[in-house]
Amino acid sequence: MTELLGIYNYWIYIILMMIGFYGVIAKMNLIKQAIALGLFQTGIFLFYISMAVVDGGTAPIWTTIGDGSVKALGPYDNPLPHVLILTAIVVSVSVLAVALAIIINIKRAYGTIEYDEIQRLEGDDDA
Amino acid sequence: MSEVLLVDSVLLLLVTVCAVAIIEVRSLYAVAMLTSVYSLLMALVWTNMHSMDVAFTEAAVGGGISTILLIGTLVHTRRDEKPAKKRLHVPALLVTILTGAALIYGTFDMPRFGDPNATIHHYRVPEMMAQNVGFVSQRAGKQTPPEGFVPPPRMVPTIPKADPHHGEHAEAEHHEEGGHHKHPADDFNGHVPNSVTSLLAAYRGYDTMFETTVIFTAGISLILLLRRRRDDEPQAGETLRGQVILRVMTKMFIPFILVFGFYVITHGEIGPGGGFQGGVILATAFILYALIYGRNALFRIIQPKVLDVLAAVGVLLYAGVGVACLLLGGKFLDYSALNTASPGDGEALGMTLVEYGVGITVCTVMIIIFNQLAEQAEAKAS
Repeated sequence: MTELLGIYNYWIYIILMMIGFYGVIAKMNLIKQAIALGLFQTGIFLFYISMAVVDGGTAPIWTTIGDGSVKALGPYDNPLPHVLILTAIVVSVSVLAVALAIIINIKRAYGTIEYDEIQRLEGDDDA
Repeated sequence: MSEVLLVDSVLLLLVTVCAVAIIEVRSLYAVAMLTSVYSLLMALVWTNMHSMDVAFTEAAVGGGISTILLIGTLVHTRRDEKPAKKRLHVPALLVTILTGAALIYGTFDMPRFGDPNATIHHYRVPEMMAQNVGFVSQRAGKQTPPEGFVPPPRMVPTIPKADPHHGEHAEAEHHEEGGHHKHPADDFNGHVPNSVTSLLAAYRGYDTMFETTVIFTAGISLILLLRRRRDDEPQAGETLRGQVILRVMTKMFIPFILVFGFYVITHGEIGPGGGFQGGVILATAFILYALIYGRNALFRIIQPKVLDVLAAVGVLLYAGVGVACLLLGGKFLDYSALNTASPGDGEALGMTLVEYGVGITVCTVMIIIFNQLAEQAEAKAS
């Protein structure tokens, strides 16, 4: 039981990623696809942060005691994945913004944001 | 079973349900709201795993900015997803299930959740956590550690897992260390308390610089994709100025949001926070103002041109600090070169400047992005 619980987080990350993956493949609405891509990303974020956890650890922020010397509060979680994901989240919102801007332009050009309708408008060349 | 895992399992179930709802709900406005909920739940998950900086970013970015962006887009696309012919896309489902199964098979080789002996906690991380800036690694040739130098306590618990009192043990040990050999490196001079910020700005300084560039590029892309030509003055869109409660509350909130934003940027080294989070928080103050008082009111405070320039200034500030380090004889982004007399102070100065660079770019790009989307919406309404 504890063995399985130990990899529970990794399973959830896979499930989240796959929900996002399904959305990207199956949904025809472009906004839905952009959001699904975001879900996929959060799955990966979860994977990284889960790996950073140390049993009994605390946030990797040091503190000082009265005389100004550094005091460790005990074991710390690994800060490196936190750094990677922190920047990745801000980049993901930039990606979302650019995607949405492109979607707006698509809407202007084709009058729709449904992928299959766009394909129909483009002609049946590849159908 | 640790309490972290207990809270974690409940939260992650909620997150999963939320994710399914996001994919399946057809009203796109509802989806925008659900993504906000999803992000806030995720922020709780990060907090539970002690990843304060990430939780901060997720709450500000996912819960705040991206919801505004989505709604801004929905105004001029359509409100609902077209009903699909089939509810379930069978080939897609098969592909995802197969991929998922393969990945799950892979997880059996992963170290268990919270295992202190996992490789990730040992490869290079203890050295980075010790962060004896100015005394070790690259500058070792120039700076010799003072007499009696003891590296600060390490993150990775070297204490055996079975010991039930390992917390107290570690504390006593380090206390003794700190008391015995007090020297500058033990102080906050030369030691940035928030390891996340220290890694962000120092060890991964290049990475962070180019992440900032990515955000800057996103801002430029939005301008290129959506900015109309400036022949006509921006039309005054409908504002919420008539709503007394909103108007008054906004005016009351904005000063606090601004102060908090600057606090988060400046105190990035000491507590959770930093340029990314603080920048987003600052941007929300401006966006809130524009939402209630209209974009024209925002432009009276800050011109779009100024925003464009400031976005570039942030990136330049970051790179400029790197170049300054070069000119002062160090390596690119080796902040300790900024103050050779006291490398720790140089480090702190460099990191603060860099954080401000990140903050300026993130803040202005978020406003630019909002502005471009809102401009579209107003153009459509008129």
